[in-house]
Amino acid sequence: MKFDLVIAGVGGQGNILASQVIAKCAMDAGYNVVNTETKGAAQRGGSVLSHVRIADGEIYSPLVPQGQADILLGFEPLEALRYINMLSKNGTYIINTAPVPTILSNLKVDEYPSQEQMLAAIQEKGISGHFINATQAAKDLGNVLNTNVIMLGAFTAISDILPADTILNKLLSMVKPKFHEGNIKAFNCGRTMIKA
Amino acid sequence: MQKQFMLGNEAIARGAVESGVKVVAGYPGTPATEIVDHCASNPGVYAEWSTNEKHAFEVAAAGSLTNQRSMAVMKHNGTNAAADFLMHINFTGVKAGLVLISADDPGGLSSQCEEDTRILIHNYAHVPVFDPSSVQEAYEMTKAAFELSEKTEVLFALRPVMRINHAGGMVTYDDEAKPETRKADFVIDRSRYVMSAVVEKELGGELRPKMRHRWLNEKQVELKAIMEESPFNWAEAGEGEVGFIGCGIGYAFLKEAEQIFGKKLPILKLSTLPLPEKKVLDFVKGLKKVVVFEEVEPVVENLIKELCFENNIALEILGRDTYLPKEGELSAGFVLTAIENVLAGKPYPDGENKYIPARTRTQCTGCSHRGLLTALKEVVKKNGGVVTGDIGCHDAGTFEPMKLQATIYCMGSSIPMAYGIKAAGFDKPTYALIGDSTFFHNGLTGLASAIFNKADVTVIIGYNSTTAMTGFQPHPGSSNNLTQEGLKPMDPGVVAAAMGAKVFRCNPYNVEETIKVITEATAQEGVKVVVAEALCYLKFGREGKISYTPRTVTVDQEVCNGCSICVRTFGCPAITIVDKKATIDTSSCNGCGVCISVCKRGALK
Repeated sequence: MKFDLVIAGVGGQGNILASQVIAKCAMDAGYNVVNTETKGAAQRGGSVLSHVRIADGEIYSPLVPQGQADILLGFEPLEALRYINMLSKNGTYIINTAPVPTILSNLKVDEYPSQEQMLAAIQEKGISGHFINATQAAKDLGNVLNTNVIMLGAFTAISDILPADTILNKLLSMVKPKFHEGNIKAFNCGRTMIKA
Repeated sequence: MQKQFMLGNEAIARGAVESGVKVVAGYPGTPATEIVDHCASNPGVYAEWSTNEKHAFEVAAAGSLTNQRSMAVMKHNGTNAAADFLMHINFTGVKAGLVLISADDPGGLSSQCEEDTRILIHNYAHVPVFDPSSVQEAYEMTKAAFELSEKTEVLFALRPVMRINHAGGMVTYDDEAKPETRKADFVIDRSRYVMSAVVEKELGGELRPKMRHRWLNEKQVELKAIMEESPFNWAEAGEGEVGFIGCGIGYAFLKEAEQIFGKKLPILKLSTLPLPEKKVLDFVKGLKKVVVFEEVEPVVENLIKELCFENNIALEILGRDTYLPKEGELSAGFVLTAIENVLAGKPYPDGENKYIPARTRTQCTGCSHRGLLTALKEVVKKNGGVVTGDIGCHDAGTFEPMKLQATIYCMGSSIPMAYGIKAAGFDKPTYALIGDSTFFHNGLTGLASAIFNKADVTVIIGYNSTTAMTGFQPHPGSSNNLTQEGLKPMDPGVVAAAMGAKVFRCNPYNVEETIKVITEATAQEGVKVVVAEALCYLKFGREGKISYTPRTVTVDQEVCNGCSICVRTFGCPAITIVDKKATIDTSSCNGCGVCISVCKRGALK
């Protein structure tokens, strides 16, 4: 068994926490786990890619090889597009459609692609997946910071590598109790967004 | 034995603690930072953030001479700063095990440059280097480095790369390790520890530096024998006449690529310097070609070329110097491409470049530096001055939209460069922008130099009371150190005044006041220091300590004419232009209110 996950997002979206939750659950389940993140000097609002590799045998590289990821979680559509080539042809993705403009696009130095352009470029790869507006759903539930929890819940709806309640319980063990109620709601919301 | 998921840096710290490390010193720098923090949490270990890497190295070396195992921790740029001491401690050798952690950042993911410290540490200083290929190996090599350093009396270096330091993996470690406790014992041995050009009478009147150099060169024989037996180097049999050599993390990517390629290849894993020469010669026997994968420079590649030349072996040796791209990180994809193309007799292909809008970094929302940068930019817009930059969060002011600092080099460069521009005859004002941690790191000597040389320069210190860039480590201007609370902070302004600078102060959240103070300082002659003092919002905001009165910022839609100054020149990520009007993203705005003074029309309230 070998399972490779990449999570693409913007610094501050909770990308690294989400990757740690999955890594820790896989480790508790007795798997071999390796992870790393590509944040560079860009942690403050920059592009962040987390790699989580799970296997029952040897894992050599901390980086998921390009074209080998089983699942891509895109916390932001432009970042998902940036790393879509990480996905295997047989892989799948869940992409949050809510854009986070870049500094350069705000300045009109760059053009932030339209929703249609981005979705088309992703679909052009011929890989199947899901688009959800996790940011809006998190706002509707009262806390935009739970976008990552919605994405984590959504992940459990498409992957049976780890039981959903194991992932939720691990997440709750890593955050303060005052956030538990909101996290549970967001997690379940993410699961239903995929089923719908 | 226990198995646990650890960050590479935690594994290195674990290995050091199990080896009985007593003194650990470093200066924060990605990717090495967390090692010191993890050591500090162990009772009985003295750990410190030193003001710079040279001093960290000196503290650790003194620990070794006092018969306690010790470790100095830094990133590649820091090892450059410590190079002077490195070139002396290699001549004297050590007493108790001394390990230098010099973390490299191939690809420059978190650095101002990419470099390969193996050249400095091994080729130049003749110090043995371990180059780990996994988190597990980083742990094991740290332990081996302490043992071997003590046995040989030579400093050992561990050179992890970003993908080791910042990778998490399962580590099997010794949970019952009980390192021996030793008595601190400093035995004076001036013949070794006094590095000076004195005559060694017993050695026929030779000068000491030459004799110690001879000792170091003779040590190489012993080190080579150790590496020949090292469990960190091995060969794997495979098909074909092309062999593949993986050094450090290069081995991990090579094994991954081999799996994808689907055929067993002849592989040699090399993770030590000096090289195990016999192992290399055995491996290349019968091969037509070898490809070396290493980060970043062709260090091993060139050593193997020399070795084959000396042994009259005709072999094609490909690597960073001859076949692969010369810059950047390796990856399994990179290695797989090389394997496929080498076997097909083709050149390494050019990569395709398809631009996807970049996400450049900037100051956080609520950061005081944005106010400071805005004010300074206003001043230089009027007087045509030049701003030299330094290392720290404020350096993002170099990029869009601020585009303020004209130079960024290394820690402490800003001050000498700012007055150097004047010394060359530039007739407008110059400003050196530096953070507080960097000021104590290598800014003090630059400031002394400026004052001593009667410079005319304005130094601006962003005093936010922490080393924010690397994750909020304390420094002498903070109110605590790594292990103690409640120190009296060294105020950079007081220090600068004692050195003879004219000191001014402002709160950078108040842009108008900051402009006024910088303008006043500029008008004075000599060396002026403006201390822009405000707590780092990201660190201290969590503790409820902030240097501004928080407010809810709103946009008066009637007044806003969509000029977008708030976005175009101020660049706060919490502001966007929607339907030609400024819009505040309430979920990310921290209410610092600096944007209010930036909007000349008064639309922001």
